[in-house]
Amino acid sequence: MNMEALMGNPHSVRVVEVIPETRTAKTISFRIDGSNLTILPGQFLMIWIPGVDEIPMSISLWKQPVVGVTVLPIGEATESLCSLKPNDWIGIRGPFGSSFTLDSQKSLVVGGGVGMAPLRPLVNTLLEKDTEVTVLIGSKTKHELLFFEEFLRNKKSNLKVLVSTDDGSEGFKGLATDAAKEILDKNDFDSVYTCGPELMMRGLYEMVKDRKILFQASLERFMKCGCGICGTCSLDPTGSLVCVDGPVYTGDRLSEISEFGRYHRNAMGLKKKFET
Amino acid sequence: MKIQGYWLASGILGVTASSMRKVVGSGADAVVTKSIGLKPRKGHPGPVLTTSHGGLINAVGLTNPGIDAFKDEMDLLRNYNVPVILSIFGNTNQEITEVAAKAGNLNPAAIELNLSCPHAEIGQIAHNPDLTHKYVSSVKNEVGCQVFAKLTPNASDIVAVGKAAEEAGADAIVAINTLGGMRIDIHQMRPVLGYKVGGLSGPPIFPVAVRCVYDLSQALTVPIIGVGGISTWGDAIEMHLAGASAIQIGTALIEGLDVFARVKDGVKNYLREQGINKLSEIVGAAWRSS
Repeated sequence: MNMEALMGNPHSVRVVEVIPETRTAKTISFRIDGSNLTILPGQFLMIWIPGVDEIPMSISLWKQPVVGVTVLPIGEATESLCSLKPNDWIGIRGPFGSSFTLDSQKSLVVGGGVGMAPLRPLVNTLLEKDTEVTVLIGSKTKHELLFFEEFLRNKKSNLKVLVSTDDGSEGFKGLATDAAKEILDKNDFDSVYTCGPELMMRGLYEMVKDRKILFQASLERFMKCGCGICGTCSLDPTGSLVCVDGPVYTGDRLSEISEFGRYHRNAMGLKKKFET
Repeated sequence: MKIQGYWLASGILGVTASSMRKVVGSGADAVVTKSIGLKPRKGHPGPVLTTSHGGLINAVGLTNPGIDAFKDEMDLLRNYNVPVILSIFGNTNQEITEVAAKAGNLNPAAIELNLSCPHAEIGQIAHNPDLTHKYVSSVKNEVGCQVFAKLTPNASDIVAVGKAAEEAGADAIVAINTLGGMRIDIHQMRPVLGYKVGGLSGPPIFPVAVRCVYDLSQALTVPIIGVGGISTWGDAIEMHLAGASAIQIGTALIEGLDVFARVKDGVKNYLREQGINKLSEIVGAAWRSS
């Protein structure tokens, strides 16, 4: 039993760069040395912010040996992570979890808010494979659109960038699911990838489940161990563990998950409904 | 319930009925839930888990939804028709009595008393035979089901604590809980765990567990449930020889749920090759023979 490897080889690294992405979100980058390390789009790391907490974070940047996570300050741990400076120490474990499958000719990628984080490496990998990619970036308002300008600057001919904002300050006015419905009706995609608020992902799932489209969503649940032992991120009723069986689930797997889009468990294991 | 077979140890995948059902599907003969207290409890800040010298060190801090909310999971578990041992803890004698009363109403196959979590306030109970006696008898008075007392290897005299639990009416002794330990990050020069210190589990504590079971099973008449670092069928046999009637497996599940099938197959083959009909013939054989 190689406990170090099973635990994701915990070690400390120094922050290399803190990159502002929106008015609030930042990408924290650091180096993971080790030539045999592979990170697949959709995987996550456990990040230890010294003196605060350890939290799971999707990997949004992977240019060996530089790895990055994109953080929205919404709680104590994420606020502390956003306030780090280059050269500060953090602890990392991983990468953990399942990844997006990449066999697609024509994809729709829908990211809601900071849910764009794991979709950035996915989009870049798909583009390199010459997949036709339509990215729909959704947020409440234009100041929160994550990676919008970066994707606009990307001149690859197989990339199309669309936007929806709840307040209509940029692009489609309304929910990302409504924007996605219009796009789906006008195109023939073979894959839909998504990450964001779970009700948005559930809406998309309902929209595509009767079409011949491979659906993949990245789920978020409260996690402690990240490596399949504590059971905190277990899904009802199958007992699937988001940290090892997920975070990326296909539509087929999601059809077995009764809590998808309905409820999740908090830090103490109490069920909490997703609010509309 | 009969004290036999290979069970899921408390604290591993024991938060929801769904995950425990999956463990049963993989071959566990019974499951022990995560330790449940009176009120919802968040536990310690992360990291709650790290590794050192081939073991895990955790300081989860008794995170749990509280006994009232846990009823939902127990109701589901009863439908799955598996023996469920409900692990409970309480910070005071009055609190453990209250939790036990509620736990008894959920009709578990048995109650396991966590008297010994080394990274929480209750860690001191199973260091002290008198306190242990008090807690065990309070719970025994409150419930009709079997009560198991889980002991700590951190006690100076685990046999004295075991005797106190037996005198107070414990139906079996579970040995051992995690061994106090910690990990310090050499770059950051600080403890890794959010709670700073924690409990070591996994292969490094196996010989400690064997010794505790060996001592306890000679001194007591109630059955011993062996737990601590078991990950192979050979470990299981060794634990039976030390005196364990049943075995719990926890940390080894990090490699996969098939550990139950592997251990049970291996034990079966061993007994056949040794020409032994019943497992009970080897329980405690190590001290009976010497």
